[in-house]
Amino acid sequence: MNFNFFFYSLLLIFFFITPSYSYLDPGSSSILLQAIIGFIAAVGATISIYWKKFKNFIKKIFKKDK
Amino acid sequence: LNLIFEKGSYKDPAGQVFYYNDSVYRALTKEGVKRFNEIKNKGIIDESISKKFLIDTKVIDSEYFSEHLNKYYLFLEHKKINFVSYPYEWCFEQLKQAALHHLNFQIFLLERDCVLIDASAYNIQFNNTKPIFIDVLSIENYKYGSYWFGHKQFCEQFLNPLLISSAKNINFNNWFKGNLDGISTSDTNSILSFKDKINPSVFTHVFLLDRLQKKTIENPKETIRKLNKKKNISKETYKYLLLNLKNFITKLKISNNKSLWQNYSINNTYSFQEESLKKKIIANFSQKNKFNCLVDLGCNNGTYSFLSLESGSKNVIGFDYDLNALNDSFIKAKKNSSNFLPLYMDVSNPSANLGWDENERKNISSRAKFDGMIALALIHHLCIAKNIPLENAINWLVSFAPKGIIEFVPKNDETIIKMLQLREDIFSDYTAENFENILKKKTKIIEKKIISSSGRTLYEYQAI
Repeated sequence: MNFNFFFYSLLLIFFFITPSYSYLDPGSSSILLQAIIGFIAAVGATISIYWKKFKNFIKKIFKKDK
Repeated sequence: LNLIFEKGSYKDPAGQVFYYNDSVYRALTKEGVKRFNEIKNKGIIDESISKKFLIDTKVIDSEYFSEHLNKYYLFLEHKKINFVSYPYEWCFEQLKQAALHHLNFQIFLLERDCVLIDASAYNIQFNNTKPIFIDVLSIENYKYGSYWFGHKQFCEQFLNPLLISSAKNINFNNWFKGNLDGISTSDTNSILSFKDKINPSVFTHVFLLDRLQKKTIENPKETIRKLNKKKNISKETYKYLLLNLKNFITKLKISNNKSLWQNYSINNTYSFQEESLKKKIIANFSQKNKFNCLVDLGCNNGTYSFLSLESGSKNVIGFDYDLNALNDSFIKAKKNSSNFLPLYMDVSNPSANLGWDENERKNISSRAKFDGMIALALIHHLCIAKNIPLENAINWLVSFAPKGIIEFVPKNDETIIKMLQLREDIFSDYTAENFENILKKKTKIIEKKIISSSGRTLYEYQAI
């Protein structure tokens, strides 16, 4: 009995705490998606910069060899 | 002043659309004036109009209205659209063109450091076959690092309906009409198969977005934490998102399944002579009346709409419930730059007043201002297929315009014989005599011409 009371009180407290988040704008997921795309694009751009540098480096080596 | 306020114009408090003397105006509050002037001073409004992205808009003398509307500080006049249509009345190709128009406009704006604040499909209208953006207050200055806030709305109102139509051959129209915000990403993700989701654009804008939405619902704290960590996206990423969707949507095609009525004009039940007589009568009708806006009810692939345009009608709005036939007619009209707007309507369930306060989106009849009407080979679909009493059907048809032509199809016609083959004939009232008597009561019959051996008859009427 006491346990049940404790359990349901805790559950109620949780329910009273969480509603503020349940009104989170559903568009926030779209923003999160864009942030992920932005992150991937940034990583991609960085990789492509280093890839270009690496390619130039290799080209230079082969040119030297020739 | 007899000002009529647009009930659908409530979402943005910065402005209010209203009608006066058959013209369209927009009143701007202080906030609206600020937003409008910032964009106008950069030359964006004029350039958007000249590039045919934005509807013709001009600032008008405010004294005329400000006396009656003292909450507003600036008044704009917009060019009037022939017929206001909604995305749930568009065929696949129309929604696709509207989506591309939105994206092209966004890219154009972003290159000039401006953006659209939302991605509502209702902000696009069709001037015949050409999409045009109508909400001038949706344009604002781009703030560096800002997200594309219309992304979710774009997916629901453009991308998802196009996807379910293209990948799964599901017509989006009735679904869209039931939920004016469009087709949710969650529903789209449930419908699409694993194979569909292999495409990187579908994977990102449908699968991944749905997963994130579900995670947000499950654990909103985590989403907030992640969002606080990453506060912006670069302008390049913003543009990449737009370009990626543009490339993807450009390649989307309607599913190939042929519909029942798509080839009706080729496979119909009357002979070449009968058809040419019918064409002659319709052409004469348009030639004689030179309609400003004719409505073609049951337009199919637009054969008689195009004929009416060639014969003197200035604009034709066509309605049909066969989306494939509408799609074909839209592509043809676009190719020939015809003043034809084909739209989806089930005659037994036309678009009603919908949305907030049952007034946000209007029913067909209150948007209509037609001076001519043709309803060819339609009456039997209303009366026999849908059990609509003959008198009700005639009343409904003649309510569209003061002048018109209705084709009466008698029971001994091959089409009706087929329709009644597997069901009981409960339509004893459906006779040529009754049809004529009812039409006579409501209108003045100008001409009556039998056009087929089965007795199909064209009745030209005029309102009394």
